[in-house]
Amino acid sequence: METTTATDPAETQTGAAQLIIRDLHARIEDKEILRGVNLTVSQGETHALMGPNGSGKSTLANVIMGHPRYEVTQGEVLFNGINLLDLSPDKRARLGVFLAFQYPSSVPGVTVANFLRRAVEARREGFDPNASGEPTGQAPKRKGMPPAEFRKLLTEKMKILKVDNTFITRYINEGFSGGEKKRAEILQMAMLEPRLAILDETDSGLDIDALRVVSDGVNALRGPNLGVLIITHYQRILNYITPDVVHVMSHGRIIKTGGPDFAMELEQKGYEWLLKEAGEEVPEEE
Amino acid sequence: MTAPVARRGFSAESLGELIERRDEPEWMRERRRAAWQTYQDIPMPTQQDEEWRRTSLRRLKLDDVEPYSEGSYASHTGHAGKTLVPPAERDEVFGGFIGLRDAARVEYRLSDDLRAKGVIFTDLQTAVREHSDLVEKYFMTCCVPASDSKFAALHGAFWDNGVFLYVPRGVAVEEPLRAVTQANLQGRSSLAHTLIVLESDSQATFGEDFISSEGERQGFSSRVLEIILKPGAKLHYIGIQRWGRAVYDFHTERAVLERDTNVVLQSVELGSALSKGRVEARLEGDGANAKLLGLYIEDGDQHLDRYTLQDHIGAHGVSDLLFKGVLAGKARSVYSGLIRVHPKAKGTGAYQQNRNLLLSHHARADSIPNLEIAENDIIGCSHGATVGKVDEEQLFYLMCRGLTRLEATHLIVEGFVDPIVEVTPIASLRDSLRQEIQERVNTVQAED
Repeated sequence: METTTATDPAETQTGAAQLIIRDLHARIEDKEILRGVNLTVSQGETHALMGPNGSGKSTLANVIMGHPRYEVTQGEVLFNGINLLDLSPDKRARLGVFLAFQYPSSVPGVTVANFLRRAVEARREGFDPNASGEPTGQAPKRKGMPPAEFRKLLTEKMKILKVDNTFITRYINEGFSGGEKKRAEILQMAMLEPRLAILDETDSGLDIDALRVVSDGVNALRGPNLGVLIITHYQRILNYITPDVVHVMSHGRIIKTGGPDFAMELEQKGYEWLLKEAGEEVPEEE
Repeated sequence: MTAPVARRGFSAESLGELIERRDEPEWMRERRRAAWQTYQDIPMPTQQDEEWRRTSLRRLKLDDVEPYSEGSYASHTGHAGKTLVPPAERDEVFGGFIGLRDAARVEYRLSDDLRAKGVIFTDLQTAVREHSDLVEKYFMTCCVPASDSKFAALHGAFWDNGVFLYVPRGVAVEEPLRAVTQANLQGRSSLAHTLIVLESDSQATFGEDFISSEGERQGFSSRVLEIILKPGAKLHYIGIQRWGRAVYDFHTERAVLERDTNVVLQSVELGSALSKGRVEARLEGDGANAKLLGLYIEDGDQHLDRYTLQDHIGAHGVSDLLFKGVLAGKARSVYSGLIRVHPKAKGTGAYQQNRNLLLSHHARADSIPNLEIAENDIIGCSHGATVGKVDEEQLFYLMCRGLTRLEATHLIVEGFVDPIVEVTPIASLRDSLRQEIQERVNTVQAED
């Protein structure tokens, strides 16, 4: 699973890539959605973030990536000691942070292959927060990837996701079924070799076969260099991708954390008892 | 060749000189004079005229341009040996190629096979002499008569050269035909005419470019494209306008479609200071099928005004129009399109879409669709127009994969225009057009 990104500062700054979120507050317009999230994901670990709809799970994913609609009002998001909140989304991505979208945008007219080539080139360029100046952003100035090398890498990853050549000649997510969209997301993840992958409701809308393919894809990418945060409403995907740690989020906070068995418990008992418990035990001010 | 005429402005005198210099049959001389008369009879359009409401001709200095540019390259002997085939297309096998430089034919090829089949593919000056009867029958008669508009009339009087394509009955021209019209438009003019006649059950693919160098002095272009398809004929046409940024370009592109014909009319506009044109399909016969595709990329102070007409006269005709524009800087586009379904045009399907992507706060696109439907028994008629900026969700998505905001913007723009470019019938032309558009878009400064 060793990546070839020599410019990745993750390697030089700390031993293990680590996501540390401290007291994160974020809002959209006037509505506060994240209300003090604390979370640590180490390299090599897989965490599940569960919780009822509207608890702020997807918001957290989007805030980690830097979606412009959300305003962070307090707290920090450190990735290998670098505050992601200071960086534009593309720089976060080039550091090795990846988000598999719940509802990925379609980009008409741009083929999956074309997009993947540019994304891989950007990822390989990496981002050095200590370097002066902005990245050029000019495609011709960026070091291109030899077509044969790209093709080889792509063929290898396409096999894992069980997609054929017609898939990559289609326009990104345009007319894709739910399952195809999720495969495309994980294919991108496989190509980009991130250090931290956030899977936002990747299991939603998948039938059991598609879920298996997607999960196998994620499992194939797991390793000591990759931290994974699986955001899900259901326990189902955790049957295929076993988490090391399970968190439950409610009303913009993580209210409980447990081991792999905790997910099973939630599946049996639901969230309600926990919320009730949290409502009593977790004070408004911490 | 005699020295070029230095006279400026379009006038009876300069027309007289032009006629004098050309070895043309009397009917054409007469037609030029009649067109000149028509030109004088039609007032210069003003912004009081509905079709010209959003386009000002205030800066057009018609009196300053040389009426025809013949021979202006003649002294440039350095150009003589160079082919006009675009570099990217040098390996392409064309059925025929015509290179026109300042209205003079400087390059010409037509395969023996096509000659043997009776295909005529030559420059219009030659065609007027060698195929007089055919040209007389079709040139500015049934398709775009001189009376069509002020600038069509001027064109009828002063047309300088162009392309004549004639495909006899039942002949399928497999290999694409290609032409490049290059003109020095520094204070000069180009009035290029393309006349395409496809007899019954014939087919062809033809692509042409209009190129001039950049320069300060205003240039003038008045183009006319006439396409006449006889029953069952099939044509794919692509025209690419890359005039310099000081050129005022006026044009009329019209296809007259008889029964069971099929046309793809693809027009790409990249150059000129001002481009004012009409693109029309007249579906006269039953079962005609027209696909009208347009692309314009404008920046700086460029101004483009396009009128399209899908004119359904015959029954069971289908027309599908998609015009896309990318506007940056202070560029402005005006699109107005009309779908007209005549009485008895039963079973018509007519669709029209105009989509504009704005890359700056100062760019502006107006889109004015119109329907006139006089027949109830139709399959469908629809029009849609959008003017918008680059989608923030798409931008975020692409940026989440490491592309900078600028790169992401460029990629979205490339994707936006690709459906038009994709259908380009000549592979090397399609690839080079893609490349050119990508480079063009890369230089366009997108604003947040």
